[in-house]
Amino acid sequence: MSKIVSVHSFRGGTGKSNTTANLAALLAMGGARVGVVDTDIQSPGIHILFNLDESEMVHSLNDYLWGKCGIKDTAHDVTGHLGTQVKGQVFLIPSSIKAGEIARILREGYDVGLLNDGFRDVVTELGLDYLLIDTHPGLNEETLLSIAISDVLVVIMRPDQQDYQGTAVTVDVARKLDVPKMMMLVNKIPSAFDLDDVRARVEQTYKVKVIAALPHSDEMMTLASSGIFSLKYPDSIVTKGLKAVADEISG
Amino acid sequence: MPPGSSPKDEPVNQEQFERALLEIKAGKEDIRPSDVVIFSEPLRSTLNRAVRIGRISLTEFAKELEVERERAREIVELLIKRNLLRVSSFSNDKETFYETRLSAMTRPLGRPPSDIFKKLDD
Repeated sequence: MSKIVSVHSFRGGTGKSNTTANLAALLAMGGARVGVVDTDIQSPGIHILFNLDESEMVHSLNDYLWGKCGIKDTAHDVTGHLGTQVKGQVFLIPSSIKAGEIARILREGYDVGLLNDGFRDVVTELGLDYLLIDTHPGLNEETLLSIAISDVLVVIMRPDQQDYQGTAVTVDVARKLDVPKMMMLVNKIPSAFDLDDVRARVEQTYKVKVIAALPHSDEMMTLASSGIFSLKYPDSIVTKGLKAVADEISG
Repeated sequence: MPPGSSPKDEPVNQEQFERALLEIKAGKEDIRPSDVVIFSEPLRSTLNRAVRIGRISLTEFAKELEVERERAREIVELLIKRNLLRVSSFSNDKETFYETRLSAMTRPLGRPPSDIFKKLDD
């Protein structure tokens, strides 16, 4: 049974795309076929983590939304970019990084229902075990749709007052959409904070299980999105936390 | 008295039924995800489940909304008009199945003053 997983944060800069890419790699390391959709159409970026160059992008999600191609045509097999540890397969559906195409989406909008159809079709057509949706920060129709059709929602936040308030909105909306499984990940926790204390405080605030409370990582910053962290640093505490999230998704 | 209903349940179900009708009739456009969020119970959770699975039968719909089939059909007809449901090809003489599709165009988020982005791509 395939699972659709939305990875969301109310605010930008929480490490959402990085987390999505790592979860995809970790799930694929266990032999799964994983699709990743970049629905952050206004500010795409996850393709960089998978080392997918613009010149390699045959079709993007934008092309599908404009009826230029089928959803399957937009899927790029990036497994070869991840190294030999990955036993399964990872397919990336990138959003266009052409300024004109981003502007066209902003100008004209698109039928959100096509995302609905596309998500379901690509799961079937590629025989995916998991479809991970890297959402746009905040709440809009696309994000609500992603959450509405997901089996699992991973909410990411930083221990920041602005994140606390916004995350409450996300959690409230997710509850109204009856997401079957919701979990949280607290990311980029400063070294001055106690990880267990942060985890307990967040769980108490939202009444949602925090699967991982991850410290700020200089290694992650140094990697600077040039690869998948968990593959390069398999023994890091950050990787262990991400593995716990992947296990919770697959469990 | 139709099968499956009781005098005790009737007033509550009638209220739910009328509220659901009013909420769906309140709009004319395609139903968006943000519409579903503000629907009342049990309409909201019924639609949430149907959207997540992608399909629902008339019998399931009536059961989850706790109304009779004919009342459920009235609601379904409105949802079809607002493009959330469409009759599935899996329907047969005994049961009608519906496929769900959250739809609607997103509103354009802004219009740049000139076609500068196309020029950048060119």
